[in-house]
Amino acid sequence: MVLTPLEHELDSSGPLDGSVIEVRGLTKRFGDEVLAVDRLDFTVARGSVCGLLGPNGAGKTTALRMLVGLVRPSSGEARVFGTRVTPSNPVLQRVGAMIEAAAFYPYLSGTSNLRLYWEAGGGRWPPPNLDDALAIAGLGNAVERRVKTYSHGMKQRLGIARVLLGEPEILMLDEPTNGLDPQEIREVRRLMQRLADTGTTILLSSHLLGEIEQVCSHVVVMDRGHLVSAGTVAELVAGTRWVYFEVDDTTRAAEVLGRHPGVLGVTPEPPGLTVELDGIPRSAAVEALVAGGVAVETVTARNRLEDAFLGLLRESAGA
Amino acid sequence: MTAVLRAELAKQLRRPRTYVALGIVGFIPVLITIALWASPPEFSGRGGTGTFFYYATQTGLFIPAVSLVVLSRLLLPFVVAVFAGDALAAEGGWGTLRYLLVRPVSRGRVFVAKLITVIFFATIGSMLIVVTGLIAGTIAFGWNELPPIASLFGLDQPPGEIARNMFVATLYVGWSMAAAGAFAFMVSTMTDVPAGAIGAGFGLFMTSQIVDQIEPLDEYRNILPTHYLEAWTSLFNPRYSDGEMLSGILIQIPYVIAFCAIGWWWFHRKDIKS
Ligand SMILES: Nc1ncnc2c1ncn2[C@@H]1O[C@H](COP(=O)(O)OP(=O)(O)OP(=O)(O)O)[C@@H](O)[C@H]1O
Ligand SMILES: [Mg+2]
Repeated sequence: MVLTPLEHELDSSGPLDGSVIEVRGLTKRFGDEVLAVDRLDFTVARGSVCGLLGPNGAGKTTALRMLVGLVRPSSGEARVFGTRVTPSNPVLQRVGAMIEAAAFYPYLSGTSNLRLYWEAGGGRWPPPNLDDALAIAGLGNAVERRVKTYSHGMKQRLGIARVLLGEPEILMLDEPTNGLDPQEIREVRRLMQRLADTGTTILLSSHLLGEIEQVCSHVVVMDRGHLVSAGTVAELVAGTRWVYFEVDDTTRAAEVLGRHPGVLGVTPEPPGLTVELDGIPRSAAVEALVAGGVAVETVTARNRLEDAFLGLLRESAGA
Repeated sequence: MTAVLRAELAKQLRRPRTYVALGIVGFIPVLITIALWASPPEFSGRGGTGTFFYYATQTGLFIPAVSLVVLSRLLLPFVVAVFAGDALAAEGGWGTLRYLLVRPVSRGRVFVAKLITVIFFATIGSMLIVVTGLIAGTIAFGWNELPPIASLFGLDQPPGEIARNMFVATLYVGWSMAAAGAFAFMVSTMTDVPAGAIGAGFGLFMTSQIVDQIEPLDEYRNILPTHYLEAWTSLFNPRYSDGEMLSGILIQIPYVIAFCAIGWWWFHRKDIKS
């Protein structure tokens, strides 16, 4: 069969409605000691905003580096638009990646940096959306100043602008709000939402749960190199078994629940306690408390991502 | 390829450090001219490079030659090592390499563009010696014939030929930096610390010169990249054989090939962790 250019393009772009990022058994070993990423599996669907969540040293950056061909996997593979990622693979033209902090030639101006980056890849200056990108950076006249004189936040914003020059279909951002002030953080998050609304697929690494909860539809949780959980943020939150009971006597309540077979753990947090339930309904726990002579004031599901996340980490540490 | 190369050249052309390095190389011949003008040396009958200093005060055409004598052992290799050692390591240090590679620009292209840029600026640096040397020399001492005494040493070239030979000599000295430059470039693929790669290239050059002083090594010394460093003087001293210059040109080649090949291989297989 002879493919027309258009068909060929569609053909090479992988499943149309399916995943645009596929990670299979991705593993990276540094030396004999460090297993930075351990048999990681996940996919990211076209148009979704996926968080890569994990504590420091979880392997987020290493995973992203493998996704853009900077680091070679020890085993497994990463695919983008169905193409197996190799160093500087042309498929990366459709990806905008900011790995760790934005970095520039300090002795050149912001504009010169963008221009050299753009032209080195064979682009004609100026790219069609330069003005949009510069508006996002919001640096004003400072873009003509040497980058050496920029604050961290200014570099970070210019870094995002640079990544957007190519109008990427996939955006990979590694802790993009790291080191920004609250105002800038809000702007960056708003920007990510806006890009997501226009159909850009975003893979966002973070150790900030609030960020993931606010921006992402999906989340991949990592800890010490391996996958802990992957799914929608809603699923992850719903799966929580953490409940907060406000009671009159926390010591007594802790005793009662500690003996209960349906309770996995109890953490006193005056004026109440956080309880991890093992599949039993909340009402059963309340019943047990009342039977034990404890007055229950309020019951709150701790269905925040943070609790889910911490719970998952505790589980993975125990496993 | 041309796109990356153009970007590389632009980066270096706009870098203040480039001009500092080139400025130093270009200014030394002027300094030498001033020094010779202030206190001209007596004629010494021993021949060799010592006499060049005397010739230089008789005709400005010889200022490039004395500049080469002064620069080729220390400053020029250092400047070449700076260009070569900085090439990839600086990008690693700044963290810009990863952005260039995910643009994406292939590693092979980045490597070749960097290498061409290094060669370009190393050549400019070398040529500055002869250009500023001839200009400063001519202003101070004139575009003259050599003094009659030179013909006693078999040196009776007309000014035009001397000037041409100065360019040939400078190109030869520039090429003599190739092994050390290639070594700095190779190390530059392996580190994110430019000073390390610069030191490695410069260190290789200096070590080669020191080992070259160890007489008992005798014939083994002629595989050292700096062994034939002054062979260009045979252009102005017919008593030396031309064969030395050819050896000096050829001896660089295996070093350059080996260091570039290792650098190429390393740069392609390495994980970019910067
Ligand atoms: N170049 C390297 N050599 C050796 N070990 C490394 C290297 N890079 C990362 N590691 C190790 O691999 C693990 C994962 O690191 P990575 O930077 O991917 O984590 P991260 O999730 O991005 O962390 P952070 O939130 O701090 O950015 C860590 O234990 C780290 O020490
Ligand atoms: Mg990281």
